[in-house]
Amino acid sequence: MIHPGEGKAEQVEDLNDLYENAPCGYLSLNPQGLIVKSNATLSSWLGLPADRLLGKRLRDLLNVAGSIFYETHFAPLLRMQGFFNEVALDLVTADGTVLPVLANAVEKRDAAGALIFTRVTLFQATKRRRYERELVDAQEAERKLGKLRDQFIAVLGHDLRNPVAALNAGAQMLLKEPQSDRSLHIIGLMQGSLARVSELIDNVMDLARSQSGGGIRLSRDAKEPLEPVLRQVVEELEAAYPECPLEAAISLSGPVDCDRRRIAQLVSNLLSNAITHGDPGQPVRLHAGTGDGELLLWVANRGEPIPEEVMEHLFQPFFRGSTRSDQQGLGLGLHIAAEIARAHGGTLDVRSDDGEVRFTFRMPLAPPVS
Amino acid sequence: MPVLSRNNVQISGDGDQPMMFAHGFGCDQNMWRFVAPEFEAGYKVVLFDHVGAGRSDLSAYNPQKYATLQGYADDVIEICRELGLTRVIFVGHSVSAMIGALASVKAPELFESLVMVGPSPRYIDDTGYTGGFSAAQIDELLHSLADNHMGWSAAMAPAIMGNPDRPELAEELTDSFCRTDPDIAREFARVTFTSDNRADLSRIKARTLVLQCANDIIAAEQVGEYVHAQVPDSKLVYLEASGHCPNLSAPDEVIAAIRDFA
Repeated sequence: MIHPGEGKAEQVEDLNDLYENAPCGYLSLNPQGLIVKSNATLSSWLGLPADRLLGKRLRDLLNVAGSIFYETHFAPLLRMQGFFNEVALDLVTADGTVLPVLANAVEKRDAAGALIFTRVTLFQATKRRRYERELVDAQEAERKLGKLRDQFIAVLGHDLRNPVAALNAGAQMLLKEPQSDRSLHIIGLMQGSLARVSELIDNVMDLARSQSGGGIRLSRDAKEPLEPVLRQVVEELEAAYPECPLEAAISLSGPVDCDRRRIAQLVSNLLSNAITHGDPGQPVRLHAGTGDGELLLWVANRGEPIPEEVMEHLFQPFFRGSTRSDQQGLGLGLHIAAEIARAHGGTLDVRSDDGEVRFTFRMPLAPPVS
Repeated sequence: MPVLSRNNVQISGDGDQPMMFAHGFGCDQNMWRFVAPEFEAGYKVVLFDHVGAGRSDLSAYNPQKYATLQGYADDVIEICRELGLTRVIFVGHSVSAMIGALASVKAPELFESLVMVGPSPRYIDDTGYTGGFSAAQIDELLHSLADNHMGWSAAMAPAIMGNPDRPELAEELTDSFCRTDPDIAREFARVTFTSDNRADLSRIKARTLVLQCANDIIAAEQVGEYVHAQVPDSKLVYLEASGHCPNLSAPDEVIAAIRDFA
């Protein structure tokens, strides 16, 4: 097969043609900002012959919004730094349609530093602009939705706390009066449920706070001992889940610089999780100890191994895995626990093998010196 | 809210009489970088950012307060009072020329002179008045800002990156432009371009210099002439500089005109 041109002398690039019919628009402005030269490509985009562009200013080719923007932002920039790159402009063509372009400009100065020309190159950017607008719109929609969600959660959390507090107070009052054994049992169950509701509200509020910026805030205390707080958590859960044996091995050699209320929340969330998902009747074990400059704390339960694909989502908010229908919860406990670990400069990991699921929390005993 | 940090107030110069520079829409106090230093010998130079621009405290932005130019003018007065300034020569570019006018009308005891660079008391044409824009055109501007953040942030950043000769300049601009909150900039644009302060001009007591550029689409010559005609004790000087930002494009001319007047 013979290609046309084969064997002929190679064509020399025609620089005048390259200028006129380049795949981009060219403009040259004199020091007063008036157009003194432009190429055929730009003329065809605008539907205006070159001689009709002579003597115009760049801003004359823009819509009003663009020209105000150009005068207040890009013209000063060009004078200050001698160029601008990738500026988004909207050209208005002869028939009034808008042609989005990206513009680069550079000043050409003589040896003495006086401005001779400003050269402008324009590239069509219709599709890119449309894509960018879609991105901005999507971002804006997401931002509005996120704000609404945070407000919703915050208000809901606040409005739920008051009735829960009232119910708690009522249960306390009933306990002060003579009750039948059956009533005492029911009141105990009600208090357990209220504790659970309070915990859910706390988790939701923490989520709202940590997502609306700043993460979980700590009030650290290095003086008070942590151990009594952990023991209290264990006792509360034993009371709430009498059917589930808890084996706690706590040996802390000294105070830990942490937010004790938060660490208690972390442990409570991990224990609740283990009790909920572990094999019924099998013991849930808690270990807490200090050594090597860190606090090591783990919670383990017997049960089915967690599949790999579930493992990676465990710490995401509202993740509930394959929970049984009788299990309540929002799927926030592990997420909040991980956030608490992170706020303490620590880690929360999970391992699942040999019929045991174990969550391990480690944190440095002293906060990093900043 | 501490006034001086709210408005990122910067003070320099060895003189007693204060010369206060106010930036317009689209930039921050960097707008005065070629002009203000020239007055450090002989004046107390005061630079600041309007709330929402530059390194001002964005959390101080209150939509009600800044829904009119008076909110910005009140900030100017607060800065003067906080610093104990009197006999102030207020140099305002673009919309800040009007902000200075409003401040001087409300607290005439603070201001000795006003220098208005490219002022406009009203951008939209009205019966017997040419502001330069139709209501529809300003609407288009405000809509395009509302629809499209690109021009304000995403498109600005690449435009100002990299300047091998003067890296500190690029850095300042990057900081400045990127820190302009798009939502506030949009509101500032609305407040600026829909303002009508024609009635305030005749109430200005301070002696006033109007600097008028050539080919300024934002504040055309007839607008500068209108301001001059309305402000009682005023002087109009035509600059050779063209465009809306002579403080950047022709700083020497601006400096000479201010020296002449002050």
